[in-house]
Amino acid sequence: MIIELGHYALVLALATSLLQAVLPIIGALRNDRALMEIGSVAAKATFLLVALSFGVLTYAHVTSDFSVQNVWENSHSQIPLIYKFSGVWGNHEGSMLLWVLILTFFSALVAVFGDNLPETLKANVLAVQAWIAAAFSLFILLTSNPFNRLLDAPGEGRDLNPVLQDIGLAIHPPLLYLGYVGFSVCFSFAAAALIEGRIDAAWARWVRPWTLAAWTCLTAGISMGSYWAYYELGWGGWWFWDPVENASFIPWLAGTALLHSALVMEKREALKIWTVLLAIMTFSMSLLGTFLVRSGVLTSVHAFATDPTRGVFILIILILFIGGALSLFAFRAAHLKAGGLFAPMSREGALVLNNLILTTAAATVLIGTLYPLALEALTGTKISVGPPFFNMTFGLLMLPLLLAVPFGPLLAWKRGDLLGAGQRLFAAVAFGLVVGSAIYYAQNGGPVMALFGIALGAYMIAGSLTELFLRSGLGKVTGAVALRRVSGLPRSVFGTALAHIGLGVTLIGIVAVTAFESEYIVEMKPGMTTDAGGYTLRFDGLRKGNGPNYSEESGHFTISRAGVDVAEAWSSKRFYTARQMPTTEAGIRTFGLSQLYISLGDGMADGGVVVRVWWKPMILCIWLGTLFMMAGGAVSLSDRRLRVGAPARAKKQKKPVLEPAQ
Amino acid sequence: MLFWILVATLTAAVAAVLLLPLLRTAAGAEAPQSHDVEVYRDQLEELKRDEKNGLISGEDADFARAEVARRLLAATDAVKASGPVSSVRRGNRLAQLAVILILPAVGLCLYLRTGNPDVPDAPLSARLANPGDDMNILIARAEQQLVANPEDGAGWDVLAPIYYRSGRIEQAAVAFRNALRILGATPVRLGGYAESLIALSGGLVTNEARDALQKLLAIEPGDPRAQFYLALALKQEGKAPEALAAFEQIVRTSPVGAPWLPLVNQHIAGLKGEAPGALAQQAGTPLGNPTGEDIAAAKDMSAGDRTAMIEGMVGSLAEKLKADPKNFEGWMRIIRSYSVLGQKDKAADALKQGLAAFPADGDEGKQLLALAGELGLKADGGVK
Repeated sequence: MIIELGHYALVLALATSLLQAVLPIIGALRNDRALMEIGSVAAKATFLLVALSFGVLTYAHVTSDFSVQNVWENSHSQIPLIYKFSGVWGNHEGSMLLWVLILTFFSALVAVFGDNLPETLKANVLAVQAWIAAAFSLFILLTSNPFNRLLDAPGEGRDLNPVLQDIGLAIHPPLLYLGYVGFSVCFSFAAAALIEGRIDAAWARWVRPWTLAAWTCLTAGISMGSYWAYYELGWGGWWFWDPVENASFIPWLAGTALLHSALVMEKREALKIWTVLLAIMTFSMSLLGTFLVRSGVLTSVHAFATDPTRGVFILIILILFIGGALSLFAFRAAHLKAGGLFAPMSREGALVLNNLILTTAAATVLIGTLYPLALEALTGTKISVGPPFFNMTFGLLMLPLLLAVPFGPLLAWKRGDLLGAGQRLFAAVAFGLVVGSAIYYAQNGGPVMALFGIALGAYMIAGSLTELFLRSGLGKVTGAVALRRVSGLPRSVFGTALAHIGLGVTLIGIVAVTAFESEYIVEMKPGMTTDAGGYTLRFDGLRKGNGPNYSEESGHFTISRAGVDVAEAWSSKRFYTARQMPTTEAGIRTFGLSQLYISLGDGMADGGVVVRVWWKPMILCIWLGTLFMMAGGAVSLSDRRLRVGAPARAKKQKKPVLEPAQ
Repeated sequence: MLFWILVATLTAAVAAVLLLPLLRTAAGAEAPQSHDVEVYRDQLEELKRDEKNGLISGEDADFARAEVARRLLAATDAVKASGPVSSVRRGNRLAQLAVILILPAVGLCLYLRTGNPDVPDAPLSARLANPGDDMNILIARAEQQLVANPEDGAGWDVLAPIYYRSGRIEQAAVAFRNALRILGATPVRLGGYAESLIALSGGLVTNEARDALQKLLAIEPGDPRAQFYLALALKQEGKAPEALAAFEQIVRTSPVGAPWLPLVNQHIAGLKGEAPGALAQQAGTPLGNPTGEDIAAAKDMSAGDRTAMIEGMVGSLAEKLKADPKNFEGWMRIIRSYSVLGQKDKAADALKQGLAAFPADGDEGKQLLALAGELGLKADGGVK
């Protein structure tokens, strides 16, 4: 009965969404507050209903209720409790329900925190959100219902995909979806503005926290996914330009562009129309990503063609929302007032450059992802667009952007002084070159491009700090004054600096690993040793063991440096009985920012084992950088300066601002 | 009933919450431009700060100030012009009606289409605590014990025939093999093992099965089941005279009125009635699987019970296949069962449905057609 109640709650959520999708818009047209008010109430109700439904599905998974098909297919009575929870979204149906849960969660947030919004705008935003929620709820109920029942309940489940039985993957999808779906709010704000036919001056400020929150979560989700792939897939790669990864990376690029163009809009009312278009495109890319991942079109175009119900349904949603929003844009854009003026060489200009490059990059990745699919669909030829394509095109596009990053915050608004900014960055350039050369000498013989890449990363870090340094006036004033000045800076300045530093750190990690990584494949018998990255590994032997739902074979390694034992590592191969699937659990040891990565291969006839060892210098920088970026997003989000209060209250709230602001 | 009360309560609660705003009197809405005024004022303040910090030059700041001030003036005028917009309370009857109607209408229509209101929850712990006749749970429980202790021969002994009866033949064979390995040979285990192998190979008595049956006969000479399969093996190899002799031997040693006699006699009649040359073509006729099951069960059952049991099993299998037609093993079994029961029409019907689930050009489809050929069924639903 509980299960069926959860099922009914989802159906009721759909019905409520339908009301929320229609009534507030009518209210906005007729200027009827009561009807507009329904939007807020319905948004909260829908969220609670979907939460109830999700809770029930979780309950079914935790209690191993195999009369629910979804539980039977993706759970096992013996797996650890955490994977019973994560199994809820570790499958198609459950993850779509999570998608809708997060979507309605954001709608509810808008309803709760949107008191400062004009009523008509809020009503329209919630209505657009409800259209999306209704479409996806219907999709779940008709094509991917997690509440399908089995009349003759099996006694044991088929187990969660072993690859997904990992803490990383337990948190990765919710984070990713928070990002993906968070952009729906920006989309709804854009659509609502277009429906009304006017963009409020405060539009960018209202959208800003949503963009920042979504962007931060998406950054976290992608980073987490990348680290998971690194340690779980057993061959040491951290980014594969795989279509599934690209599907999350494209919205990230578009979202980053949106973040920056919204900055221009909130400060100068410039780029209004462009920002609205970007908000639409960002969420459209999230939808496209959902389509690519969820329709099965990626595995094979033909697999998709044989069971196209799901894919076609999402495709219709895709066309409806992207097409609808873009048509709306085409109708309205001509009537929207454009904003302020600026010279090409200015902060605004730098942000336009940023947008140009980021959107081009997003388009490049998009083409690289879709081209093989289109080709296969049209001609039947299967090709794969691999890392060489992306490294060449994407890498080249990023180069000018990365060079320009430190300039942006140093340029003045409206009309800047490039030469002046260049002079101020002189120290950063010098620092970059010094660090680059130092690494070059340390790693003697490394490729010249690596020198350049690392120098670029160091230059970005130093350049971002230059901004803070100059704002503090250190050198001209006493230390205490400088400290006070820095601590008085608006948080968004720190946010910018942190995010840009993060980009530099990630770049250093990527370049260092790509250029200086070393790989050793050896056949080892117990007692044998091999050298890797300045360390010596001794293989001590294999041990068999049993987990709750798998059996494993682990190799023990002792790692020593210059004859002294410094660490030990276990590297294992697991076999999950219910799914008859093997997985690898790489042995990873961290030394500073670098890692030693040990992966166990097949056993040989003579008792030896193939062991793959990688030395990954500075690899942790890749994810450390994303932590910086996330911190930047969070710090920026906590900047209350740009929040816009409701008109009546805003006057009271206005306090004199003592410290300099950006 | 409780479920429907809860459904009604939930629906009513949501409807009530949605109706609440419609029943309140509405106050006047503010002019849409009043927000803009705030933002423009804020922007002017910010400009002042930026200028002080040298983030924008004095000249440009003046330009920017002029831009913002222009917008500010326009917005202020707009607010004044519109004044406080009064929202007249209008008739919301239609909206109220929509809330009251759409929630239950959409909710119930869709739920009744997708839901299973009668299926109770089945948390595993409750099922384990009180398994009753829940065969799946009994199996799962035994399986769990065997994962912990795979050398528990008694466990395999219990599981093997259950697997066999629920159609998980492959697992049955493994279980019988394990029981044999751990606990040693007994007629029951050897017979079950042989039957699983025969069922796995689609009715063919394989060499491995024959070895097991011969061991069985060594322990218990005169076991009619083993004799029957060995005779069948001879027939399948095309050794018609030897097969005939073996079948006749079974008839001689069986008690009068033994329930397996009609089947044996059928084989004898078949062998006698056919030219020796045609026999070779008949090799592989899979009469083994369900028939063997009959015999095993018939050992302690009357003939009437036996038919009832088979029909019951076939009935439940048909139900399962109706719910999940993507069960290839199931179709193979049910087609064979119907033709053994003599219900050729039903067999042909099942064949048609099976082919609908597994098209004839696929691997499984071809196997279905091959089986039909052996049993003398036609794919178009008729009987040859």
